Amino acid sequence: MSPILEIRGLSKRFGGVTALSGVDLAIEEGEILGVVGPNGSGKTTLFNVVTGVHMPSGGSVSFRGRDITGLKPHAISRAGIGYTFQQAMAFAGLRVLENVQIAGEHVRVNAGASHHPWPTPLALLDFVGLAALADERAGVLPFGSLRLLGLALALASRPALLLLDEPAAGLNDRETAALVGLVRQLPGHGITVCVIDHDMKLMQMLCRRLAVLDFGSKIADGPTGAVLADPKVLDVYLGGDL
Amino acid sequence: MIASRQPNGSAISALRSLLPVLVVLALIALVPLLSPSNRFLSLAISAGINVIALYGLSVLFGQTGILSMGHAALVGVGAYTAAILARDLCTGFWLALPAAALASALFAMIVGIPSLRVGGHHFVIMTFAFGQLLAIVLTNGGDYTGAATGLDLVGPVTLFGADMSDLTRYYLMVVAFVAAAAVASWAIINSPYGRTLRAIRENERLAASLGINVGRHKIGAFVVSGIFAGISGVLLAHFLGHISPTQFASFPSIYLALMVMIGGARLIAGPLAGGILVAFLPEVLNLDPVQSRIVYGVCLIAVILLLPEGLIAGVGQVFRRLLASGQPKQEREELDTASTTPSEVRR
Ligand SMILES: Nc1ncnc2c1ncn2[C@@H]1O[C@H](COP(=O)(O)OP(=O)(O)OP(=O)(O)O)[C@@H](O)[C@H]1O
Ligand SMILES: [Mg+2]
Repeated sequence: MSPILEIRGLSKRFGGVTALSGVDLAIEEGEILGVVGPNGSGKTTLFNVVTGVHMPSGGSVSFRGRDITGLKPHAISRAGIGYTFQQAMAFAGLRVLENVQIAGEHVRVNAGASHHPWPTPLALLDFVGLAALADERAGVLPFGSLRLLGLALALASRPALLLLDEPAAGLNDRETAALVGLVRQLPGHGITVCVIDHDMKLMQMLCRRLAVLDFGSKIADGPTGAVLADPKVLDVYLGGDL
Repeated sequence: MIASRQPNGSAISALRSLLPVLVVLALIALVPLLSPSNRFLSLAISAGINVIALYGLSVLFGQTGILSMGHAALVGVGAYTAAILARDLCTGFWLALPAAALASALFAMIVGIPSLRVGGHHFVIMTFAFGQLLAIVLTNGGDYTGAATGLDLVGPVTLFGADMSDLTRYYLMVVAFVAAAAVASWAIINSPYGRTLRAIRENERLAASLGINVGRHKIGAFVVSGIFAGISGVLLAHFLGHISPTQFASFPSIYLALMVMIGGARLIAGPLAGGILVAFLPEVLNLDPVQSRIVYGVCLIAVILLLPEGLIAGVGQVFRRLLASGQPKQEREELDTASTTPSEVRR
């Protein structure tokens, strides 16, 4: 089967900084792919280029065989790619339920989505464990709940592919465990996942496959165990906590 | 269970915000029974005409979070459309309404597309510049726009055969238009469309990530506010019988922005309160124009510093604080801590 997302030769320069150089990456339908790399290695930039936040300096992205390079963020979301931000965010002034309602109102039902009908906003809140806070203003949520709300928002936008940028950053152990439980269920609901995180334990729990970025280049890509044993990868994390 | 509770609650609270406004407007409609002076009626009519434009501005500023500093220009496009149509095609008041609404909406789109592209604070400056530009174009439009002297507009306003030009009748008609504007603005605010605009106001990046075409909706909100402004312009032109470019230049625009901020742009009662207050304050305090400008300035600073949600919300807050002491303060503190998210954990 052809990959759900195919990134070819993707480059991004910010002035003199090369954030990505010639990255090739394919995400297979139904998997949970991990992307790791040191700070500043270009992980977030990779997501930003795929989701249309930044125009690539070179290369292409195709989603389910369709070229989506350089489309606007809202168009990419509507095509079926959902994402959460490294900085957890929500519509702070609006109620939690209203947040999720908005998130579901601007996407047509995805061809690839296995769920018909898609879960209601309240069901999604229930899924991430925030149903009891539905009437609260999103701005008053504690940080961990805000991250979970971000996940609910992205899910409400009916993605076939979900990109998660450090979804566990700032979460405590209990919240992280809950998150792992949620993310693991997603492929079963027809949602392919690509996740960035620095927490290797978390990545080992979630991902069977890892890709490693260093200075904007992909230096490894393969089964999690093999990648973490790769001397090139160990080299990058020299002195780190691998 | 939760699912059935929420929509009911929000529908009732939504109605609760509109009802007081309609009740107040009904009371205002009874004022002619007290045989008020012509001066009072004229002042009230001008205020009401402003309030109609303010309801559009509240959709733009209160819901979408973008401020227009050239809004009087949109009112002007409506007013000039009415005057030119009346002169060239003998078009009456009622036909002028949709025509002017369309003209102002188009003007808003023409201004909005380049202005909203630059985004953020530049939009304020662009709308201000376009406002000035319109005044210059009208001033130099020769006989067609009547140049600096402007245009006269003659011809009665009739409704079902009745002459509405009489001051009291015009007053009642303006009150009806204000009520319609309030209901329209309320309907927008409480629709999924209004929710989309609020999402854009709260976080454009997140909105875009959820499939919202931020640019198109911002232009759309500006166009919607243009429709209100165009209608307001027709009422103004027919009320005054004479319009000129300076009426739609920078000062009137600043006043409109000031009124919506003082009253509160997010609440349905805000535009009404702001429009009435700014119109009648100098009258009540017996101020000359220079003094009233100073008072407006002070009011605006006071509202921005003390009641950032506007007068109505501020008064409501004070009431709640008096009724249940301690509660609102705690809410505020929670908000403050939530806005500072912990820094990312790095390994
Ligand atoms: N908008 C931008 N403008 C300029 N430079 C940028 C921009 N975004 C990222 N960069 C630069 O690109 C490089 C890659 O940054 P990126 O945020 O993609 O790294 P990352 O792998 O996500 O790091 P982290 O683990 O810290 O989140 C960095 O050198 C960064 O400074
Ligand atoms: Mg990052």
